[in-house]
Amino acid sequence: MALKKLGKIILALLVIACAIRSLNVLAAPPTEYEVKAAFIHNVTKYTEWPSVPAYTANTLRLCVIGQNPFGIALDTLKNKKVGGMVWEIVPVGSVTSPKECRVLFIAVSESGNLRQILDGIKGSTVLTIGDTEGYAEQGVMVNFYLEDEMVRIEVNMDAARRAGLSISSQLLKLARIVNQHGGMP
Amino acid sequence: MRMIVCIALAMALVRVAAAEPDEPYSQADLTQLPIEELMNIKVSTASKFPQKTTEAPSSVSIITAADIKTYGYRTLADMVRSVRGMSVTYDRNYDYLGTRGLGRTGDYNSRMLLLVDGYRINDPIYDTAPIGTEFPVDVDLIERVEIVRGPGSSIYGSNAVLGVINVITKLGKNFNGTEASGELASFGTDKERLSYGHQYENGAGLLLSASRYRSAGQDQYYPEFNAINNGIAHNLDSDHYGNYFGKLNVAGFTLTGGYSKRDKAVPTASFGTLFNDPNFSVSDGSSFMNLDYYGEMSQHWDASAHLFQGRYFYDGIYPYAGAPVTLNRDQANGAWWGTEVKLVGHLEKHKVVTGVEYQNNYRQDQSNFNVVPYALLLDDRRNSKREGVYAQDEITLGNGLLLNAGLRYDQYSSAGSATNPRLGLIWNPVDATAFKLLYGTAFRAPNVYELYYASPGTQKANPDLKPEKITSYEFVVEHQPWRNLRITADAYANTTSDNINQVIDPADNLLVFRNSGQVNARGVEFEAERLWDNGAQLRTSYAWQISRDVSSGVELINSPRNLAKLNASLPVLGNALRTGLELQYTDKRKTLTGASAAGHLLTNVTVLSEKIAKGMELSASIYNLFDKHYADPGAPEHIQDLILQDGRSYRLKLNYRF
Repeated sequence: MALKKLGKIILALLVIACAIRSLNVLAAPPTEYEVKAAFIHNVTKYTEWPSVPAYTANTLRLCVIGQNPFGIALDTLKNKKVGGMVWEIVPVGSVTSPKECRVLFIAVSESGNLRQILDGIKGSTVLTIGDTEGYAEQGVMVNFYLEDEMVRIEVNMDAARRAGLSISSQLLKLARIVNQHGGMP
Repeated sequence: MRMIVCIALAMALVRVAAAEPDEPYSQADLTQLPIEELMNIKVSTASKFPQKTTEAPSSVSIITAADIKTYGYRTLADMVRSVRGMSVTYDRNYDYLGTRGLGRTGDYNSRMLLLVDGYRINDPIYDTAPIGTEFPVDVDLIERVEIVRGPGSSIYGSNAVLGVINVITKLGKNFNGTEASGELASFGTDKERLSYGHQYENGAGLLLSASRYRSAGQDQYYPEFNAINNGIAHNLDSDHYGNYFGKLNVAGFTLTGGYSKRDKAVPTASFGTLFNDPNFSVSDGSSFMNLDYYGEMSQHWDASAHLFQGRYFYDGIYPYAGAPVTLNRDQANGAWWGTEVKLVGHLEKHKVVTGVEYQNNYRQDQSNFNVVPYALLLDDRRNSKREGVYAQDEITLGNGLLLNAGLRYDQYSSAGSATNPRLGLIWNPVDATAFKLLYGTAFRAPNVYELYYASPGTQKANPDLKPEKITSYEFVVEHQPWRNLRITADAYANTTSDNINQVIDPADNLLVFRNSGQVNARGVEFEAERLWDNGAQLRTSYAWQISRDVSSGVELINSPRNLAKLNASLPVLGNALRTGLELQYTDKRKTLTGASAAGHLLTNVTVLSEKIAKGMELSASIYNLFDKHYADPGAPEHIQDLILQDGRSYRLKLNYRF
């Protein structure tokens, strides 16, 4: 009886092992973060900066603050150009302050510190991007969300305007516009 | 055995199918696509861990809407069963939750606080946290469930003794259209649901939903009653419910309302009733309205407020032997309203949460009478109030150190006052690792059922009950070496004192609630979660726990020493199918007679197709795949020492959105 039970457990584990192995050969759809990386590239194309600090004048410095959810997906941006400039991807740490970035991606892990982060870059022209529910309402300029497993964007116009960034109407017509309190624009 | 061959065959098919390339976009192309096209790519979403929203520094398990579909969860109890260190006992009437060595049978989960969108579901008569078919919201409307372990009274007040279950429901925008759902399942079961959700141009959202469930159940066999109908309770396991739910959100305001009613036939002849009598049934119903406001007050302060009104009713028909059979009716009616205001401040080195709460239970009535000949046996009418005030500060000390300190004071018109602290020291030496040292206390005030209920010949009142308490110490290590691997280990020592337990008074053989002594519970838990970029997920956990009565040194009943769980979910055929596999091992549990309910391993499998046709979603589940015969320990109101659980069962579910 006990042996039969053990046999069943082993078989079940074998099935799992076999299934997990078979995953490696599956042709998977693009991952969420590969698509989001491409979105960052595209959103940048549609954004105009009034002026940028000297140290990011010739490159597109993309900073990630918090636990980086992209993994290797951001590698796809390497050697890609927007307006003749190439991407430079740096984590925010002791070397780089968020103010010195062209684009700042704020990870979900920072939801508790969002207020401090946004306060810290006040007065600069950093394009803030996130993918956490409520980020746009709290002042992040571009926020990704999922609808039916497809990536959608919401834009906080007030936040972009305050930083002096102008986001093309071509992008805006594809986005959901939110304001600070989550209500009507 | 045949089943396994089937699964193996399916896996083989998967390999063959995988050989055909069906990837529409290679990685390099993506950045060259215009946004319009990017917006049309379906992505695999299962590659990140959901984040907890609960304010308290605790160990939290999160069940998402995707998990509910993937693993074919039918009730909150199904979800609770799947998480680390928790178990569920079913007496074919209600589901009882057990965690961290404490699994009191017959307590209606009064030591667990159950919230729906911040609204307290525990009623003010029995403190019930309904996790079975009597839970008032259809599980298909749930966006996520946060199961918080450990005492939560420093923020949430009474009932948050063993933990808090916070259910967050969907919004209109999650449906964006009409969805019809139908289910067919074993034991003559069917369920229907119709939901409508919409988000308007101005950002306002509306969700409306209605559900109906009917289950005929099976004949149940109890050898203890062999003398009557050969021990078979015929046609006495039926379960019917209906519920309605609505939500309207406009700007910072959300209005939520619901109504539900469940009728359950009871086959166990509990409370000394007549076996195999077709009249034994219980109805539980509730309704609620909750108005929420959330807004920013200033740059650093957010405010939220709730105004709520709730009702709960219960009606049980208990047949007692006699010629003719005496039908006894047991009823309860509760009605209450309340309000809560909460402020959250994000200051430079502080995150402050503070609030006040008030609840007025203007009706807490219990009655009991014999129908024919009419005899009123109990007519107990009560009302009470409670007030609470709390504050918590999360202080950044530097060098990756955080101190979380909270305190709540509660005042009950029925049971005095309670003060409960919570202290957490959290150290993040590096981003990937966190050490948490937690201390907290929690309480539960005795409810009117425990204080005042009496029924001649069955149960007597005890108005002298005091609140029960828990003191908890916990050490947690969380390590996330990669973004898609998370490992958690924790160790805890809990002491509960003045426990309110239902016992039989040997003097008169009546059931009575008593504050009975102290229990020490110790345990360790381990969990690993791994996600793959293609959407595969694996979560596995092991818990060891032991709980003993301090004065006698005796181990508690219904407390398994070992619990192990495994949840694996795999995309199959690209993203066309998703399979969910669950294994749940529960160690042997002591029963009231000192015997034991044997340990058992349960296996559940679900296969889900999210796009069988446009807008159509189909899933098939097999619960208890290997038809394992197992039983849960009975409570003092049962003659049965063991209550047999369901064998293998099936469910087929179809959702259509238009």
